[in-house]
Amino acid sequence: MENTVIKIENLVKRYGDLIALDHFSLAIREGEIFGLLGPNGSGKTTTINCMLSLLAFDKGNIEIFGQKMTPVSYDIKKQIGIIMQDVAVFNELTVYENIDYFCGLYITDKAERKRCVMEAVEFTGLGEFLKFYPKKLSGGLLRRLNIACGIAHKPRLIILDEPTIAVDPQSRNKILEGIQKLNRMGATIVYTSHYMEEVEQICTRIAIMDKGKKIAEGTKDELKRMIKNTETITVEVLGLSEAVRNEIIQLPHVYRTEYDGERLTVFCSGGTHNLIRVLDVFRTHEIRVGRVYSELPTLNDVFLEITGKELRDRKGDSHVLS
Amino acid sequence: MFFHDLKYFILSQLKTKNLIFWLLLFPIALGCFFRIAFGEIYGNLTQTGPIPVAVVEEKDNPVFRSVLESMKGLEEQFLDPVDLDEATALERLKNNTVEGILYVNDKLRLTVAEDGLEETMLKKFVETYTLRETILTDAALTHPEKMEAAAAALSKDCHSVASVSVTTGNTNNFTQYFYNLIAMTALYGSLLGMQICFNNQANLSALGARKSCSPISKAVSLAADLTGAVLLQFLCMAVCVTFLVFVLKIDLGNRLPLVYLAACLGGMTGVSIGFFVGSIGTAGQRVRTGICNAVVLLFCFFSGLMVGNMKALVARFVPWLNEINPAAVISDSIYCLNLYSDYRRFGEKLAAMLLISLLFCILGIIMTRRKQYADI
Ligand SMILES: Nc1ncnc2c1ncn2[C@@H]1O[C@H](COP(=O)(O)OP(=O)(O)OP(=O)(O)O)[C@@H](O)[C@H]1O
Ligand SMILES: [Mg+2]
Repeated sequence: MENTVIKIENLVKRYGDLIALDHFSLAIREGEIFGLLGPNGSGKTTTINCMLSLLAFDKGNIEIFGQKMTPVSYDIKKQIGIIMQDVAVFNELTVYENIDYFCGLYITDKAERKRCVMEAVEFTGLGEFLKFYPKKLSGGLLRRLNIACGIAHKPRLIILDEPTIAVDPQSRNKILEGIQKLNRMGATIVYTSHYMEEVEQICTRIAIMDKGKKIAEGTKDELKRMIKNTETITVEVLGLSEAVRNEIIQLPHVYRTEYDGERLTVFCSGGTHNLIRVLDVFRTHEIRVGRVYSELPTLNDVFLEITGKELRDRKGDSHVLS
Repeated sequence: MFFHDLKYFILSQLKTKNLIFWLLLFPIALGCFFRIAFGEIYGNLTQTGPIPVAVVEEKDNPVFRSVLESMKGLEEQFLDPVDLDEATALERLKNNTVEGILYVNDKLRLTVAEDGLEETMLKKFVETYTLRETILTDAALTHPEKMEAAAAALSKDCHSVASVSVTTGNTNNFTQYFYNLIAMTALYGSLLGMQICFNNQANLSALGARKSCSPISKAVSLAADLTGAVLLQFLCMAVCVTFLVFVLKIDLGNRLPLVYLAACLGGMTGVSIGFFVGSIGTAGQRVRTGICNAVVLLFCFFSGLMVGNMKALVARFVPWLNEINPAAVISDSIYCLNLYSDYRRFGEKLAAMLLISLLFCILGIIMTRRKQYADI
């Protein structure tokens, strides 16, 4: 049986006139890597700050480990590891001292603390930077320090708020692998990001939010099944006539096309061999085409279809044919 | 948890260049600057030998005689009197071998040729002598054994009274600048105090937010950081006073331990002021640091750090300001320590410092104790 670790019910948070969270509800179960995906300003950080009782909210109910969360719930806080969106370390303390400081807020026994700190150091690969000051660390290393400070005490629940901002792909992959490892070691993870690839890559369940509302929730396959689109075909072609475009939209499974003068986008729902049928049309009309892509739906398409706008710049599993 | 937090607060602050600068280097540099600027006067004052003075006896005055006699027995000679007739005396005054002529009659009269430090001291001597004449007469006639002590007191007063009036004849002297320097250093402790707020308030820094998510209670954390800030400030004050006294050789009086005490208490006042300023409003770190600096300098301005006779002006026009201006209270405490032989006023100033510290600490705690914020 999976226990609910975090339960948020009908959370409402206003900043003056702005409604940052609008009746937001969420249930996160033990052992999950839960992804909270949303564009900038959608309320991810606000949700987390409310969860941690840093922010006072207007309405709603938050329970962690089955207990109501309050600012003085020190027993609960002891079991949470938090990695904030803004790096929160002492600039005047070294890497080791920083990790030791934060770990010491949770673990009082010195020997045990030392062991935990060293494990965190090893985990984040900061071993050779122990005597470095945060200012001397690169962005990626700094993020790793931020993570080390959050996980050294081996929390049961780890909350990461966009831990990979400004991190190069290599470091990012290391961080993501690390998060999965922590999860395998038993921690429940809450992960927020606006990088859908990351969320797709590691999260077992995902909630997509926009403007303070949860617009969809489920595993990534469940989410993708929610939408009509199953395949998006892009063809680079110049001076396409209306007639040919009409012919393409008549093809089975095609429900929409877009053309900007250089690139034709064909949206398909279901069916197989859609790409071949589209290319057949071009061949019969002897139209020269440039590059051709076929993409499976991404979380961006899910977001796009539900909200009518892009989550972020499009990217996905692309197959280049030419 | 308390000691863990305390340890790292102190460690992190010790490594903060900004604080080291304002709390250690800046006061030391300013001290050196003052020392150089006032160096000449200072040298004159401390190295004044006995002042040569002609004594023209118009009428026999046994009291004055015995005062002169007793003063000769003192370790530190204040006057170097020579008995002369008036004509010779005037001549010597002209060619500067004496600084002044004391006419001895029922009363003392003084003639000097020019204005200067020695002349001022002579004037003070005559004034003080006249003021104390009854006591001196009494001692000379009925308790000759007390004569030495009375003369010593007179001589000492003349020294200190004269040094008080060196510059422009008002109550400011250059030592006041150093008292104010101590006050300024003490109040720069506010930067430390402010750091406590930055480190603990979730709405002021990521660090504060992070700390608020951890299981250390705010009360423990505030207590630890306050303790750390005060201890650090004690250290800074000790360095400052030690530097003034033992390196720059500024005379802060002979009750040095009490000067350290006053400086440390002043430092505590500074920390608490910073803690309070840091806890109010919603402004960011930079704005707060700016406000804090401005407040400190304003306090010091009214206490006379920049313009020497400011405190006298304040005393004349808004006397209550000197009682509550922390900079004035701190510098006055040391001033009182060296001006009065009893401890009443010194004690009052210390009490005022404690009161101000307590007030601001309590206000600061009331402001920072909240744990949830409407926006971060
Ligand atoms: N302190 C604040 N005062 C007023 N409005 C705020 C405040 N903090 C956040 N907001 C607003 O609340 C909304 C949600 O912000 P939040 O920081 O939770 O977004 P986010 O999803 O974390 O975005 P990002 O991906 O940029 O971190 C935004 O519209 C933001 O402008
Ligand atoms: Mg955010």
